[in-house]
Amino acid sequence: MKHDEPPPVISPAEEASPPCQVACPLHTDVRGYVAAIARGDFEEGYAIAREPNPLIYVCSHVCAHPCEEECRRNQVDEPVSIAALKRFVAERHDLSLGHGPSKPAVEPKNQRVAIIGAGPAGLTAAYDLARMGYPVTIFEALPEPGGMLRVGLPKYRLPREIIDIDIKGILEAGVELKTNVRIGQDLTISELKAQGYEAIFIGIGAQQSRTLRIEGMDLDGVLLGVDFLRDVNQGKPVKLGKKVLVIGGGNVAVDVARSAVRVGNLGDEREVHMICLECREEMPAHEWEIIEAQREGIVLHPSLGPNRILGRDGKVVGLETIVCESVFDSEGRFNPSFVCNTESVIEGDTVILAIGQASDLSFIHPEDGIELTPRRTIKVDPDTLATTAPGIFAGGEVISGPGSVVGSMALGRRAAISIDAYLRGENLAKLRFAEPQKLGELPQKTVEKIKPLIREPMPLLPLEERAFNYREVELGYTPAMAMRAAHRCLTCGGGAYVDTGKCAACLTCVRVCPYDVPVIKDGAAFIDPTQCQACGVCASECPAKAITMKLYSEDQLYQEIEALFATAPASNPEPFIVGFCCLYCAYAGDEWAESVRAQLPPNVRTLDVFCTSRIDIQHLLRAFELGADGVFVAGCVGEECRHTDKAVNRIQGKVQFVKEVLNQVGLGGDRLALYNIPSAEWGTVPRIAQEMAERVRTLGTNPL
Amino acid sequence: MKAGSNLEKVLTAGYFAATGELGPPQSADTAVIEKKAGYLKGYVDAVNITDCQTAVVRMSSMAVAVMLLRLGLEPTMQMTCRDRNRIAIQSDLLGAAALGIKNLLCLTGDHQVFGNHPTAKNVFDLDSMQLLSMVKGLRDDRRFQCGDEVKGPEPRFFIGAAANPFADPFDFRPYRLAKKAKAGADFIQTQIVFNVPKFREYMKRVVDLGVHEQCYILAGVAPIKSFGAARYMATKVPGMDVPDEIVQRMKATPKEKQAEEGIKVCVEVIQQVREIPGVAGVHIMAIEWEESVAEITAQAGLLPRPAV
Amino acid sequence: MIIAEQKPLDEIKSMIADYQKVLILGCGTCVTICFAGGEKEVGALASALRMATRLDGQNKEFIEATVQRQCEYEFNEEVADLIEEADVVLSLACGIGVQTMNEQFPNKLTLPGLNTAFLGQPVEQGVWDERCQACGDCVLYLTGGICPIARCSKSLLNGPCGGSQNGKCEVNPEIDCAWQLIYDRLQALDRLDLMMEVKPAKDWSTSRDGGPRKIVREDLRLTFVEEKQS
Repeated sequence: MKHDEPPPVISPAEEASPPCQVACPLHTDVRGYVAAIARGDFEEGYAIAREPNPLIYVCSHVCAHPCEEECRRNQVDEPVSIAALKRFVAERHDLSLGHGPSKPAVEPKNQRVAIIGAGPAGLTAAYDLARMGYPVTIFEALPEPGGMLRVGLPKYRLPREIIDIDIKGILEAGVELKTNVRIGQDLTISELKAQGYEAIFIGIGAQQSRTLRIEGMDLDGVLLGVDFLRDVNQGKPVKLGKKVLVIGGGNVAVDVARSAVRVGNLGDEREVHMICLECREEMPAHEWEIIEAQREGIVLHPSLGPNRILGRDGKVVGLETIVCESVFDSEGRFNPSFVCNTESVIEGDTVILAIGQASDLSFIHPEDGIELTPRRTIKVDPDTLATTAPGIFAGGEVISGPGSVVGSMALGRRAAISIDAYLRGENLAKLRFAEPQKLGELPQKTVEKIKPLIREPMPLLPLEERAFNYREVELGYTPAMAMRAAHRCLTCGGGAYVDTGKCAACLTCVRVCPYDVPVIKDGAAFIDPTQCQACGVCASECPAKAITMKLYSEDQLYQEIEALFATAPASNPEPFIVGFCCLYCAYAGDEWAESVRAQLPPNVRTLDVFCTSRIDIQHLLRAFELGADGVFVAGCVGEECRHTDKAVNRIQGKVQFVKEVLNQVGLGGDRLALYNIPSAEWGTVPRIAQEMAERVRTLGTNPL
Repeated sequence: MKAGSNLEKVLTAGYFAATGELGPPQSADTAVIEKKAGYLKGYVDAVNITDCQTAVVRMSSMAVAVMLLRLGLEPTMQMTCRDRNRIAIQSDLLGAAALGIKNLLCLTGDHQVFGNHPTAKNVFDLDSMQLLSMVKGLRDDRRFQCGDEVKGPEPRFFIGAAANPFADPFDFRPYRLAKKAKAGADFIQTQIVFNVPKFREYMKRVVDLGVHEQCYILAGVAPIKSFGAARYMATKVPGMDVPDEIVQRMKATPKEKQAEEGIKVCVEVIQQVREIPGVAGVHIMAIEWEESVAEITAQAGLLPRPAV
Repeated sequence: MIIAEQKPLDEIKSMIADYQKVLILGCGTCVTICFAGGEKEVGALASALRMATRLDGQNKEFIEATVQRQCEYEFNEEVADLIEEADVVLSLACGIGVQTMNEQFPNKLTLPGLNTAFLGQPVEQGVWDERCQACGDCVLYLTGGICPIARCSKSLLNGPCGGSQNGKCEVNPEIDCAWQLIYDRLQALDRLDLMMEVKPAKDWSTSRDGGPRKIVREDLRLTFVEEKQS
């Protein structure tokens, strides 16, 4: 997150970030890690995804992934499965390599910071501050850290060992954790100050279920959602009947309902119902959560308000409901209106309320100087998250109300930046946070030129295996699935950029672009990042070398070629073959670059490119110059190219040109071959490599 | 009389003219010229001497023309713009006139890529139209192209030009002929006519424009020696229009009779074009088959040639 | 625009045979646009020459640079250090750039890596057609905007000659007959009258035939005022 002063001047489009990155409260470089996965660089993908996110393992399971909602592929077909890809890299990551980036070399600081609450906000703030060099201590009321992650989220969504992985990484960054310390009870804020903490961050979350003032709340069998989840998650005994009525339509309500299905392992003997004010379409829970709940047999009763809880002998026997015709009034305020004489009864022996949460702010004393809002949240400066008490900051659900994990993390991060500024004596009033600018929507003419690609389905635990246990439902991608999923990324904003000083306005880019993006503006090429699909054909064709790809540039490919020769086997009798393989179409089925490379003999090396359109004549020449005995390019056949047939035609011309140069040089053009592989034959790279080796053997070794 | 050549006299006297053609050798051989001249003498009114036709180096057109004069034939010296600028051309014209040459055919000339020196630099300082103007200016205005006066006897030529009725754009061809007449052409020799209907249409338009009254138009004709030659001319020679029926007729003829048939076709063409209004004669291009001219002219009833 | 193409590699090799350190100097204007001497071509040629000379057992060094316009001193000055360092300069500019370099750096030989071909139009990606012969006396107003000097094989002013067939030139069926194009255009414009007049012999003195040409605009010269004062 940037905190510049004055706010940075962001030029339109050129500096705009991909919508996924902007949508992510942590502004994760989604495009970057998806591209790394697309190349099979899974560890690189992990590193990019982890960089801003100390709770990457947690997020890889439960992130609400607003990124996918903003994904511009929605305009074409369905979003890139970003969440599943994050989980893929996290699961695949070798933790022996460490959790995240090594600690930056910063001057250790001596101002101590106290963090109240080890939830997503507190953990993030603590992690960031520790990396800035501050001694940080987290005070957690419960025996284990994690906050609502541990006691709120059901295990079938978030296995507890997942939380432990991230916590371990955070603690390794130098954060001190004190559990079983409830601020307000074991220690007051004043005492914290007295102990020498110069800044305090309050991140206690919203862990109190809101209740209803209706008849029957005192009946046996009425439970509060947060308490229910906490007890279930902590393994405490829960008294649950056989017909459970969950009131609420949000994500917590769904968690409650789906957990209720699992408690006691009763199978079909227990019915679970959800009753909510909102109509089905307006239910606030994520759609995919609702669908999974229904698959598990949970019965939905939308558009119903709880009128009273019916009891007999002090025990719940049902819920009287009334039809709700609207939840919000014309001014958008929560003000449900009910239809008279529509009362009906849903029988049940347990009622669980999951209609919202609030924070328990009883630990704040007037002398602390921390003002509250009428909504019973802590009042903060929306930019700096400073409370009305100097040195005390707050973030997470305690200021926002119930929200997402990643949203709370972002607030924790913002607080950390403010705390740092505060401790360095900066004027907080001047601290302003600039949100990144979002790349605009795809114009319709571009949408029409983008080929739809099927979203890689996520393998799920079979239904019959899920309802009665806490096993995770989503099973995760295989490497090949992950690469296919990542290939769908449009690489928004990662495409071509023009050095107008070099541009000769030759119109080549204008002519070769399969998406008709470049135009000549003010005497030089202008490639609108909103439209660019990052095929790279313009960059590889530009005679002035004025165009560079932002993500995986031409220079990077040169470096990869050089690197490949740096590790070439010395004095190998076999011909040394270099293959340029299109990531989109050279591999198939359950293979990916790494698995293919493993099949290749040491004398054959491949380089993966995002479409052969990215290869330019100098790349091919360079490989020969460095001593390749043979070079092949493996791409698709024209009409199957991801970027229309223009791209393939271009590589044909380039290969032809280089062959001619090789003839003139005296090496012989036959050392270079282009393979246009029809999709039915994708995955034939090893065979091509073999064939190429045979061919080159008859030509002899490259004398260079 | 503009130049007083035999050809000019034949045409102005109203006779149906017949001219021939002689290609100089690619050597300094005089005997072959004498031999070819022998085939033509007495059968035609004048003989064109080509100027390095198809851009192949041959003996100078002026030199061969002088040899013909000595042999008692009337030459029509051909002059192209390919190899000479306006200075060289005018110089040659003064010399040719001094040596007694009276007919001059003005051509742009074949591009050097067709010849045996395709890497040569070409000149094309003038085009045929401008050459005609220049020759006419020398004769009628007694002025060089630059405007200077010719001090002394001016070169006087009966000025000829070529026309190809079969080249594109067809609609413009009659107008281009008119331009040549306007530029100074006294007589025209056309590309070889095989497609008589098309030529007839062309001549109709020429007559409508009144061009036949400004210059004498001689239809080009030629005998075809074989089926192979017919096919070659039909497909390989730009600007040549050989109807398929003639190619088929040659094909249907036994090989040993093909030469005879070719002469017959030529005679038929002569007889047909003679009936077309505005046609003042024929130009028989029997290149490398000069001995056929005697028979063609005899069969076509063009003999004896008038003595004027 | 000036259209050029690279010389054959063998010819370039023999030109640089006696030199060890070669600066390959591209030009960022016309020859970049026609894919003959821009930064990309400089790189490709350097690569090809490194390979070719190594195959010949030589160990030459090639330096790469591209200036914005090699026909201007100021741009070339920017790479003066590299020029100084090199034994010879292999220019991938047009003949103008090569000569500018030789004039500007008299102690360093600059060799031509390109054949400057013609003044032409990029009619499609990868295809360039000659359009102007710089005759110095434009006749396009008489010919429907189609130049017979540059585009007629014989530069006729009173075409088309008898070799025009199906819109093509007799010299090469790839060449459009310029005069057919002119005829069609004038017909479409209802200006065929322009073809009816015999156009007189052209004044070629403004063309190359008049010797090397020069244009001087005294008013633009920076010495203008001073000269008038002195």
